[in-house]
Amino acid sequence: MKRYDCLKAIAPHFGEELVVTNIGAVRHEWQALRPHPGNYHLQNLGLTSSMALGLALALPHRKVVAFDGDGSLLLNLGSLATIANQHPRNLIHIVFDNECYESSRGAPTATAGQADLAAIARGAGLANVMTAKTLAEFAEAFLRALKSNDLYFILVKVEAGAGDVPAAALDSQENKYLFVRYIEKSENLKILTATLSRASEPHAK
Amino acid sequence: MDPKLCAAAIVDGLKKAGIDFVATLPDEKMVEVIRAVEHDSALKHVPLCREEEGIGICAGAYLAGKKTALIMQNAGFLNSCNALTTTSLQFQIPTLLLIYYAGDIGDRGFTTLGSVTEPVLQALGIRSYILRKSDEIDDTLRGAQILAEDSKKPVAVLLTKSVLGVK
Repeated sequence: MKRYDCLKAIAPHFGEELVVTNIGAVRHEWQALRPHPGNYHLQNLGLTSSMALGLALALPHRKVVAFDGDGSLLLNLGSLATIANQHPRNLIHIVFDNECYESSRGAPTATAGQADLAAIARGAGLANVMTAKTLAEFAEAFLRALKSNDLYFILVKVEAGAGDVPAAALDSQENKYLFVRYIEKSENLKILTATLSRASEPHAK
Repeated sequence: MDPKLCAAAIVDGLKKAGIDFVATLPDEKMVEVIRAVEHDSALKHVPLCREEEGIGICAGAYLAGKKTALIMQNAGFLNSCNALTTTSLQFQIPTLLLIYYAGDIGDRGFTTLGSVTEPVLQALGIRSYILRKSDEIDDTLRGAQILAEDSKKPVAVLLTKSVLGVK
C-alpha cells in the first residue's frame, strides 16, 4: 500500500474540509486528487501538525485534516503534546509513515528503527490513536474520524513511493491568497488588510 | 514597577493592538506576562513545547482570521529561524514576536545570545524594536502590529528587564 492509494481512497469523501500537506510528493498527489482552495501546501518539514492545529483552534466548527509524514513529525514531536493538551475536536492528524525521508533519496527515519509514532502519540496524551496497515483499515479509520466530533491521530504504515501525478504548480503566494480568500468567503471574515492606495481623499463635489 | 503591573500593561497593549491569539514558551523574566495571557479570557492562549511550533500554529490561526503573537525568549527565537524563513517569510504571514532580550545591556549572562539576536533578526529581514519604557508599550505594540499586517511579515518587539519590571 502506498500513500497515493490511501489518498485516492479517501478523496471522494472530502467536501469543505481544510487540508494541510507536508512538503514532498504528498502535496502533488493531493492537489491532483482534490484541487481545492482549502488545501494549504507547506514548504517546510515539521510544521504540518502545528499549522493544522492553528487552523483548527481558530475555526473550531471546520474539520481540519493534516497529511503529515514520519520525517516531518519526528522533527516536531512536541506538537503532539501541544495538540493533546489543546484537544481540538475538529482535527484529524494523519501520518503517512514510509520509514524514510522519501524526498531525500529514501534515507531511513527513526521509524525504520525502533520508534513507534502511535506509541509516542499515546504517550503525548492523545486518546484516539489508530494504526492502519491496509487500505481497508485506513479508510475505516478515516471515515470514523471524519464522522466523529473528536480529535484523531491515524498512523498509516505505507511503502515508499510517489503516485504517478503531474507536478502541481504550487506558488506559495498564490496558494496563500486562494486559501485566505476562500476562508474569508466561506466564513464571512475579513483577514487580509489592504494597503490604502489612494494618497488623499477625493475632492468633494 | 511591579512585574504584575508591567505584565498587565503589556497584555493590555497586545489587546489594544488587536491581538487575540497568543502562543508562549516561558522565560523566567516573562512568567507574569504569560500568566496574564493565560488568565485573560479575551486571548486564546497556546502554551508550546518548542518555539518553532508556535510559528506554525500562529500561521494557521492567522490564515483563519486571528491576530497572533508569539511570546518567547531570544533563545527561542533562534530555535524558530527555519520556521520563520520557510513559513512566515515564504508565505508572507504576519505574526507579532514578543522576544525577551536576554544578554541585553546590563545583563549578567547570556551575552552570546544577546550579541547575535539583532544581527539574526536583521539577516532574516525582520524589523525589530526595543521596548524599554512602560509608557511606550501601547504605541510600540500597536505600531508593530500595523507594520506586521501591512508588510505581511513578522515584526519583533524586544522586551527588556526595565519594561518587564524585573531585576
